[in-house]
Amino acid sequence: MLLGGVEPVVTEPRDELAEAPDIIGSDDSEAFSAFALSRWPGLVRLAFGLTGDRWTAEDIAQTALARAYVSWRRVSRADDPDAYLRRILVNASNRRFRRRRVTEQHGDPPEVAVEGPADLVGERAALLAALRQLPPRQRAVIVLRFWDDLSDAQIAAALGCSRGTVRSQLSRALATLRDNPVFGAGDEP
Amino acid sequence: MTATEDAEVRRRVDDLLRAVEPPAVPLEGIVRRGNGIRMRRAGAAAVGVGLAAIITVATLGLHPSHAPTMQGAVPSGPAAPGGVIASGTADGRAWKLAVQDIADPGYRCLPAITVNGTDADPVYPNPGNAGVVTLGSAFAGTGFGFMQLPASISRITVNGRLQVPAVIVATCGYRYYVAGFTYPLGRALQVTVGHPPAGWPSVFPITQPPPPGTTAQGDGLWINTYFVHGETASGVLASGYLSGQEWSIRVEFGPGGDCYAFNGNGYQMGSCGPVGTPDGAETIIALPLGFPEADTGGVGYAVQVSPATAHLRAVLSNGTSVLATPRVVDGRKYVALVVPDPLRLSRLTWLDSRGRVIATTTALPQYGYVQFQP
Repeated sequence: MLLGGVEPVVTEPRDELAEAPDIIGSDDSEAFSAFALSRWPGLVRLAFGLTGDRWTAEDIAQTALARAYVSWRRVSRADDPDAYLRRILVNASNRRFRRRRVTEQHGDPPEVAVEGPADLVGERAALLAALRQLPPRQRAVIVLRFWDDLSDAQIAAALGCSRGTVRSQLSRALATLRDNPVFGAGDEP
Repeated sequence: MTATEDAEVRRRVDDLLRAVEPPAVPLEGIVRRGNGIRMRRAGAAAVGVGLAAIITVATLGLHPSHAPTMQGAVPSGPAAPGGVIASGTADGRAWKLAVQDIADPGYRCLPAITVNGTDADPVYPNPGNAGVVTLGSAFAGTGFGFMQLPASISRITVNGRLQVPAVIVATCGYRYYVAGFTYPLGRALQVTVGHPPAGWPSVFPITQPPPPGTTAQGDGLWINTYFVHGETASGVLASGYLSGQEWSIRVEFGPGGDCYAFNGNGYQMGSCGPVGTPDGAETIIALPLGFPEADTGGVGYAVQVSPATAHLRAVLSNGTSVLATPRVVDGRKYVALVVPDPLRLSRLTWLDSRGRVIATTTALPQYGYVQFQP
């Protein structure tokens, strides 16, 4: 079935990245530093949502900023530099899933002794587990919609797919989450 | 999904991701990584137009008074048994570079370059990786290096005169084409590749370790070009509470070696140590942990232990002891623990599954790492 047949499919930004690299002067360096400082926390959190792993999140956030550094002149002049950064981040995350050579082993969640934070930690761990069960693209749609608050079109641009695909992926992801006890636990009987 | 459910998902995702406390932005690392990408593209462009930019990375500092002459890679053609890619003598000692499986017995094969059977550096299927390492006083004037090549490149040239053949090694189900060499510390190191394939610079940029005595610890730690990004394995080794403050120690094993993150209540410190092999030296790494809000602290320890280790007993300065159990991450065993202030770690003892002592040591760091052969 053709979803959103009239909608343009966003192409990979590889041609842009493959161009000769920019040369960064001191003014550019300062601008890039300010850009990196301001975007870093949000990037790491977004990457964590995409990957579910702290180390990987920090690594691909670094990768995204390093690529932005290489193409800084173009990134800084772009209408939406954040969209460019998001796209690189999502691509880096997807490559991780495709090329995963080693299965991660997650340690036991930390023991929690305090009542309030225990509930909170348990809830977060449960959501993380629920997100990990989603396919990468569905997980990305959830995180981009509910964390970055992006529209269908913006998510489509980040994922390199059509808006129709975004909607269908979102629908499937939400259906999966709805069946998860994490979200069912609070429902009325 | 209803608007209420929608809001609930939003709230929970928001809560989950806001709980992530990113460390300080690693600006230097980002720029370094960006420069690596730039250099790779520049190399590709230079090859495309028939140019070869000469990039020489020179070491700084004093020249060793008795710098060794260049040692050649001995084997040519298929590797000798044991995955040996090069061998020789330097500083009066025999050396051997090899590709070998460094996973504990029974676990999935993990190929790595080793020097004399220890101080490993993981290798990955795709060519392009290169690394150099120094081993401290054991080889005071000598650095060791390797380059992983595509099948089309049969040799490299080190410092314009030493021809080093690529050796074929079959390990862990892959065939690697690797050139191994030594070089004198304190001099420039330049590696050139004849007739490089598209995307490869003819002069390969290799970052050298700083000369001995000019920086923090580095012996046994490989410095890689990162032209190849290998995947990593990670896992939490230990976690708990110290004066009500949450801490955890996590390992990441990958191209950077064994790297540990010591997290304490939102604060994070990281450090990497040499990678041991099942029969080689183990690395004991220590990093101070601080909890400013609680006005307390401690020292986090992480040890990659030998396959036979069932427990690691830590004796503290007040005479108490703690029995820590290894966790396996990617086929290798690790132990981690935290010693709270004002206590100190006095002794570590390796125990097998029957409780018998394998080894024990009191040579323990308060900061940095030591290598210990059980």
